[in-house]
Formats: sequence, C-alpha cells, structure tokens
Amino acid sequence: MKASHWAWLPVAVISTSAYATTYLTVEQAQRAIFPGASFSASGQPGIWRTSNGGYLVVDRVVGKHEFITIAVGINANGTVKQIEIMEYRESYGYEVRDAAWRAQFVGKSASSPLQLNADIKNISGATLSSKHVTDGVKRILQKVESGLKGTG
Amino acid sequence: MALAITFSLIGFAASAEESMFGFVYTTDLLPQGGKEVEQWASWRHQKIGGYYDQLEGRTEFEYGLTDRLQVALYLNYNWTQAYHNGPFGATTPPEQFSDYQVGPDDRFNQTRFVGVSGEAIYRILSPYTDAIGLAVYTEPTFGKNFFELENKIILQKNFFDDLLTIAFNFTYAPEFRYLQDPADPTGIARSWQDETDVNFALGVSYRFVENWSAGFEFVNEHEYNSFTFNHESNSGYYLGPTLHYGGERFFVTATALWQMPWATAHADTVPGALVNGYVLDNDFEKFRFRLKAGYTF
Repeated sequence: MKASHWAWLPVAVISTSAYATTYLTVEQAQRAIFPGASFSASGQPGIWRTSNGGYLVVDRVVGKHEFITIAVGINANGTVKQIEIMEYRESYGYEVRDAAWRAQFVGKSASSPLQLNADIKNISGATLSSKHVTDGVKRILQKVESGLKGTG
Repeated sequence: MALAITFSLIGFAASAEESMFGFVYTTDLLPQGGKEVEQWASWRHQKIGGYYDQLEGRTEFEYGLTDRLQVALYLNYNWTQAYHNGPFGATTPPEQFSDYQVGPDDRFNQTRFVGVSGEAIYRILSPYTDAIGLAVYTEPTFGKNFFELENKIILQKNFFDDLLTIAFNFTYAPEFRYLQDPADPTGIARSWQDETDVNFALGVSYRFVENWSAGFEFVNEHEYNSFTFNHESNSGYYLGPTLHYGGERFFVTATALWQMPWATAHADTVPGALVNGYVLDNDFEKFRFRLKAGYTF
C-alpha cells in the first residue's frame, strides 16, 4: 500500500475537553440547601444529618458519558427541600441545572411517582440526564425513608 | 452501608448521540441546534486470492434540526488496490469502481470521489421514556454513474440503568449504476442497472467504566439483482468486537468484523464467488475494520 494514498485522507485535529464542571462543593451545597443549619455525619458516606432534623445526600447518577453529581436536601418529614446539580460534564443537557426544572422535585417524597413525563417534566434534548436525575432522587428518597428514618 | 452499596450500583453512563457502534445505528440523536463533525475510515481486506484492500473515507457534518430530527451531509471517497482477487483469479474492482474496464490480470489501483450523501434520522420513540427506541433513517447518495437510497428502521433497547445498549437495524438500499450493458454483445452500450442491499444488523455494547463501552456487532448482508427480494446474488455474515470512547466533546469508535463461514449459494450467485462458506464477490470481503471519530460543538 502506497503511503501517498493515505495522505489525502482528511486529518481532523481534535482535542478533548475532559475537565469537570463543578458548580458547587459539598459545603456550598449544604449552605445553599440548608442555610444556617449545622451538619453532622450520619455514619454513611455522602449523607449528613442537619440540625433541623433533615438530611443532605450527595450522590452521583448516570450521565451520558460520566457521572452527574447531585445534592438532595430532605426535610425532617421526608420530603424534598431542594436539589442541586453539583457537577455536570456532558456535551448537552445543562438544562437540568435550571431552577424551574429542579423546583419540580420540591415536596416530593418516597411515595411520589417521580417519573419522567408523569410528575416530572422531561427536558427535550436532555432526556437521559433528566431521567437519571429523577431516578436518582427517587432512589435517595426511598433509601432515606427505609434506611435512615427512625434510626437516629 | 446498604445505602452506600445501592448508590455504588447506580453505575456509569450509557448512550450518547454519537456513534456507539461502527456499523450499527442507534436512536440517540443530537439535540436541537447540536452540531457534530465525524470522520470515518473503513478498511475492507482480502477476497478469494491475490490481494485486495479498499479504504473508504467519509467526512460528515451532522445537525440537530429538532430534538427528534437529525440531518447530515457527507462526502464519500475511496481508494482500492486489487489483483487476482475475484472469482477464478480475475482482478475484480469493488462496486464503487464497477464502471471501470479492468482486465483479469490487471493490477488495479485507483482513488475516486464516490459521491455526496444526505441523511435524515427521525426518532419516533425514545429508549429512555418509551418501552423501546424507534427511529427511521434515509440516506440518498449521488455520485458519478451512481445513485443509492439507503433506508433503515432502527430499534434500541437499554438495560441496567442504560449501561447496556442493544440496537437493531433493518436496511433496505436500492442502488442504480450506469454500467456496460450485459445484453450488448459489442460491449459499448451502457445502461442503468439496479441492485438492492438488504441488511440486518445487531449491536450490543456495555459501558464498563466511565466514558468507555465495549461489545460486539453482527451484520447479515444480502444483495439482490432487483428491487424486491427476488434474484438474490449474495449474502454474508459478519461478526466482531466494538470499542467506544465518549467524552464531553470527542468520541472515537472502532469495530472489526470478520466474515463467518455461513454463506450459501443463491439464485444469482456468480460462479466462483462462494468459497468454503465465504462469499467474496461484490461488496463482500473477509475482513473489515471501521474507525469513527467525532467532535461535538
């Protein structure tokens, strides 16, 4: 095979941009969701008890290529106080950070459907991220409900 | 602890709008306004004897017209070397060069611009919100003495929190080539001749760590000398591994396929094309390898 035949192939000089976009640290997420509260270790990684009886859970859910790190604040009665997107590293789907979309989770509990296109609106063009954040919040609520409440 | 274990099982990401497979399409598309450039290189290697190498290049630009409709435009080009590769040891160029006059003992070595293709993929159902993903695909290609209309039905089903992607394609692709008229004994007259490719393809890929997935692809290709399913000339089976890396902006996918010795004779199979269960004429060779790279912006 002559080398000259390879030369006419277009050469795409492509670089990756493999940096993580971190929007909130754990401390920042704690202050954003439970302003003025103090936090104590729950004994499980990524989970803190708050001084007002709630929980703050930091976890990672599936993104298109990498994890999406989320923080979920849970009131003492088991309902969602607020969620935050702490890290997002995908090509598209940044709309999951929109406050209006995240506000849909406020007040949801472990018994809520928490299903995309049911009680949580899908973000067209960011379906995978929307679905996995929704599923992640549901998993966290169910685990907190079944595994943590009443133990401490 | 149970909570931590559960969280650890959430797993890694799967599925992106980029090409997860080398030969199989998925229903994942660019969102509205999304843009991507892709470069393909496909190497087809070895037929019955002698030597045979074909390098197909494709440079593509994709755009998300809506969240459900993705369009693309691309350029196709080809280099081939062949010698004593065909039935009964005759030098036989690939289909892209079938309008060339080649002697049975010629050493064929040519480069050509094959044509310009357009592409549109419309997603009807999403694998993330519906029971199964479903999309339809059409791709016209225009070239010198050549026109093809490739159509696909694409199915996709994901499992294990979208870690595992399974995709199936059905392809119906009639093509027209302006070639030497076989009915003309002088060999001077030319006429438009038709052929249809009908393919079934399956891709399975699992995201085993962040950004990386691996699996296999299976392709069953059929060629018919008609627009219906009559006058089948060739059918071949290919199987091999696929590896994919997907990052925030960049992806690369590589797939190697070997022909399986499962081919059988059909009504229009050319004598000498079928050897020990391998069909090695026209679009069929022993080994093919495809590398795709893309950049999203």
